[in-house]
Amino acid sequence: MALIQAEELTRVYGAGETAVTALDHASLGVEAREFVAVMGPSGCGKSTLLYLLGGLDRPSAGRVMIDGISIGELTDDALTRLRRQKIGFVFQSFNLIPMLDAVDNAALPLTLDGVAAEKARTRATEWLQKVGLGNRLTSRPDQLSGGQQQRVAVARALVAEPRLVLADEPTGNLDTRSSDEIAGLLRQVADDWGRAVVMVTHDAHIASYADRILFLRDGVIVDELRLDAHNRANAELVAERLRMV
Amino acid sequence: MLRLQLTLAARYLLGRKLRTALTTLAIVFGTMVIFGMGMLLPTMLAAFQANVLAAAGQVDVTVTQKSGEAFTRSALSKVRAVPGVRVVAGSLSRTVNIPSGYYGRTQLGALTLTGIDVDAAQALHSYAVTSGRFLRASDESVTVITANLAEMLSLHLGDKLHLPTADGDITLKIVGLLPARSQPGNEEVLVTLSEAQKLLALPNRINTIEANLNTTDQAQRDVIEGAIQSSLGTDYTLGGLSGGSELLAGLQTGQAAFSLFGFLALFMGGFIIFNTFRTIIAERRHDIGMLRAIGAGRRTIVGLILVEGLIQGVVGTAIGMALGYLMGAGILLMMGSLYRNFVHLNIGAPVIEPQLFVQTIVLGVGVTLLAGLLPALSASRVSPLEALRPAAVEHTTQRFTRGNIAGAGLLVLALLGLVSHNARMAALGGLLFLIGLVLVAPVLVQPIATFFSRLLTLLVAREGTGELAQSNVVRQPGRAAVTASATMVGLAIVVAMGGMVWSLTGGFLGILQKSLGSDYLLMPPAVSLWGSNVGAKPELANRLRATPGVAVVSTLRYAAATANGKSVALLGIDPVNYTKVASLAFQAGDPQTALADLSRGRALIINGVFAAQTGLHPGDSVHLSTPTGQQLYQVVAVGGDYLNAKIQTAYISQANLQRDFHKSEDIFLQLNLAPNANAATVEPRLKAILKDYPQFKLVSGQNYFEENKQIFNSTFMVMYVLLGVLAAPSLIALLNTLAIGVIERTREIGMLRAIGATRRQVRRIVMTESLLLAAIGTAFGLLAGLYLGYVMILGLSTAGYPVDYVFPAGGLVAAVAIGLLLGVVAALFPARQAARMNIVRALRYE
Repeated sequence: MALIQAEELTRVYGAGETAVTALDHASLGVEAREFVAVMGPSGCGKSTLLYLLGGLDRPSAGRVMIDGISIGELTDDALTRLRRQKIGFVFQSFNLIPMLDAVDNAALPLTLDGVAAEKARTRATEWLQKVGLGNRLTSRPDQLSGGQQQRVAVARALVAEPRLVLADEPTGNLDTRSSDEIAGLLRQVADDWGRAVVMVTHDAHIASYADRILFLRDGVIVDELRLDAHNRANAELVAERLRMV
Repeated sequence: MLRLQLTLAARYLLGRKLRTALTTLAIVFGTMVIFGMGMLLPTMLAAFQANVLAAAGQVDVTVTQKSGEAFTRSALSKVRAVPGVRVVAGSLSRTVNIPSGYYGRTQLGALTLTGIDVDAAQALHSYAVTSGRFLRASDESVTVITANLAEMLSLHLGDKLHLPTADGDITLKIVGLLPARSQPGNEEVLVTLSEAQKLLALPNRINTIEANLNTTDQAQRDVIEGAIQSSLGTDYTLGGLSGGSELLAGLQTGQAAFSLFGFLALFMGGFIIFNTFRTIIAERRHDIGMLRAIGAGRRTIVGLILVEGLIQGVVGTAIGMALGYLMGAGILLMMGSLYRNFVHLNIGAPVIEPQLFVQTIVLGVGVTLLAGLLPALSASRVSPLEALRPAAVEHTTQRFTRGNIAGAGLLVLALLGLVSHNARMAALGGLLFLIGLVLVAPVLVQPIATFFSRLLTLLVAREGTGELAQSNVVRQPGRAAVTASATMVGLAIVVAMGGMVWSLTGGFLGILQKSLGSDYLLMPPAVSLWGSNVGAKPELANRLRATPGVAVVSTLRYAAATANGKSVALLGIDPVNYTKVASLAFQAGDPQTALADLSRGRALIINGVFAAQTGLHPGDSVHLSTPTGQQLYQVVAVGGDYLNAKIQTAYISQANLQRDFHKSEDIFLQLNLAPNANAATVEPRLKAILKDYPQFKLVSGQNYFEENKQIFNSTFMVMYVLLGVLAAPSLIALLNTLAIGVIERTREIGMLRAIGATRRQVRRIVMTESLLLAAIGTAFGLLAGLYLGYVMILGLSTAGYPVDYVFPAGGLVAAVAIGLLLGVVAALFPARQAARMNIVRALRYE
């Protein structure tokens, strides 16, 4: 069974004449260890889709199953626990806490879960080393570059050993070199560490790191592109498909 | 330009309704206290003048003896001899306190008994009798009263009016009625001068001379008044009665204390506004940069921020004044009944002086503008580039600034002031201490927050919420420091007042037991404002002494005098009997011999307040102004009793009081029972005697002590309520900072919720943050409060009050409890707001 199973997801904002349908009967499945990119122009509903999959927002219609659990029926606390244990998030603006160092930032999900501070810090340190920040453990966000901050965020997303990582425009605030590094890191999350990754982006080059790309327009999934070892990282191909959408 | 500024300011304010409301509320509190309290004194003053001075009516000049005591008619002839004086009349009037229940159910605090020289008085005043007739010089035991008084007492022409006097209860026949008085004040009971002299036991004496002049030209009148003054000498004063000035002094002291509260409240308000504006500037860097980019000058930006402050200042001040009026009127209403019962002052409608309006508006709006000025200036320095730059990760590490070092210096100076043991230095030190704490606060935020967060983490804030809360507090050390400072001021007052209250209670109850420890007390209606009480001739004491079961009776007599230009209440005691029923609490001189020394020549014991005011010490000599001229008295000791501890008082022997002041009326009596006497049988006998002297109330010493203790406690209760009102600005400061913090960190809260923080955990973070801020404020408040409390006690004891410093353990506990409570209450709303946040919207928040 797929790790994520979304059926006929619809999200309407507002009501009456000003109602806006951000997502319109979207259905998709994501397998374990799969890296899926969601692409589309601004306002096509890709972030909305990501928030619904992560249980941050509730759909107007349809349902989301994560690891066999229908999240629509969960209470707010149960859903929060599910996010904490099964899902990791990476945001465009990193969203690190400026007053905490890299280790404490990365350890946050464990700390919130009540894991003893020492243990949480040890595991956060391990993950920071894996994402290549072993030498910046005690740095605070303002002492790190954008790419480094996003690595901390990736470590934070992985520290609780979730099965799924959701990334919302993770390279939106980065230069090209850092963007490439982060995209590569997310590829590694799927390949080496065996998590499913769903990433929203509008950058064809970044999307081309994924196994599969979903194209969204006006809230509808209009196309899908599978990339195998042979055409992986072929940005031109992706860009061309995007133009056709 | 101004229109744009106004429009933008209004939009911004309305855009953040809650914050606007909270900030404005800070101003409201300060102005409310200042305005409300500022009403009290003028209103009391007006009541005072109406009651004590209004009797003067429509005459040009009123002459009284400085001490307020009666004098001989020779002064009258001196005034009459001054050229330019048309008519003169002497009169003898006195406030007669009416015991409650004396006229049945009619509550009447006091009457003024006035004896007039019938013929001369009618040349000065017009007495338009509405029914019956006016007084005649030959009248005996008759009176003329107003129709109003007659109606109140249900009396008619020809009925008898009862009146308590030194001779016991007497009656006067009502022969005429006057129209109701238009002025507020006590109702007058008019009798002939000789009648009054007899009733008040002051033969051939008057206490007021009224005169009309033969010119209306102000310059000439001044000349004539000067001539009257120089012919009478400095013992007499022109204008009004000086009696009761001690009450006035008390009122002024109270007013000063309340004003201080108001200023402190406004000071806290200033802090809150400063904080808010600083945040506003940080939030709007983009907008401001954009305005600068499209051509707004620096002055426009300053103007924009100040206009916003001005709107809040004006609205807050207006609301504050309205609420202040209600508060003042409410307090006057409560005090009204208290004052009627205890000092017989009728309080009229609230009086608001024009300068109070000006003062409140200037302070309210001024503080707002001043607090907004620094942030506005920093806003004007925002570069146009800010509009284009992405928001930088904010993280400020606090370094030592010049302000911190100056603050530390002030703290050292303050401590030096404290060890100097000089009240004035210590008081100055108190101010320096507060300012110093405010200045060093930013660098102390981090260590104190770290310490308390460890504590809180152990107790409540597990799962990392404690650390997160701590990081939120130290993120903006400046803001946390200002918030904590506002909390500090509130709690410092609690601790300081708590300390003072504890010390005062201990000190006063101590001498209460000492000076009023007799078995029974015979209390007059107005304790400590002796001048208006009707006493009893020595016959009462004699009858009491003759009562079987009574061992000893001691009495107090009263006269007003001035010494070294200060008015003083003279109490005549019987040195032999007094020591058998009570004792004075001595502060200087030999307690063993002091009372006995009163019998040797002209000697006096002065109390602490009087000693502090005049600088007199045992062994000094002082001239007392008496009705018989200046008399030289020698100070033998400094000491006092309970009832007079707050009033400038001196004790002399009753023999001297009789010789120099012609006073032999007992106004307060204390008695002890014989060792084997049964109170149950003696008490009815005492009560039977007192039937003839309804002005006295028989109280057992034990009951009186208990009663006073309760009065103490309830008075302090009122003060605690007031302190609670003052804690409100601290609450607003906390609430404001938390609310601002929550709004600022919206995206961060969204992130925390996304990565797995439950609502409970988010709530706990805000709650812990609030408790940390409150804890820092409380820690500062305790320090500042201990200092201020010590200064207050030092000041009081320097002023002659019998107090020793007691460590205010109760105040400390109360302050910690209040601090915690403030922290919890302030966090309720912001914590809820943070926990309820929509995650998606929070993550997208710019």
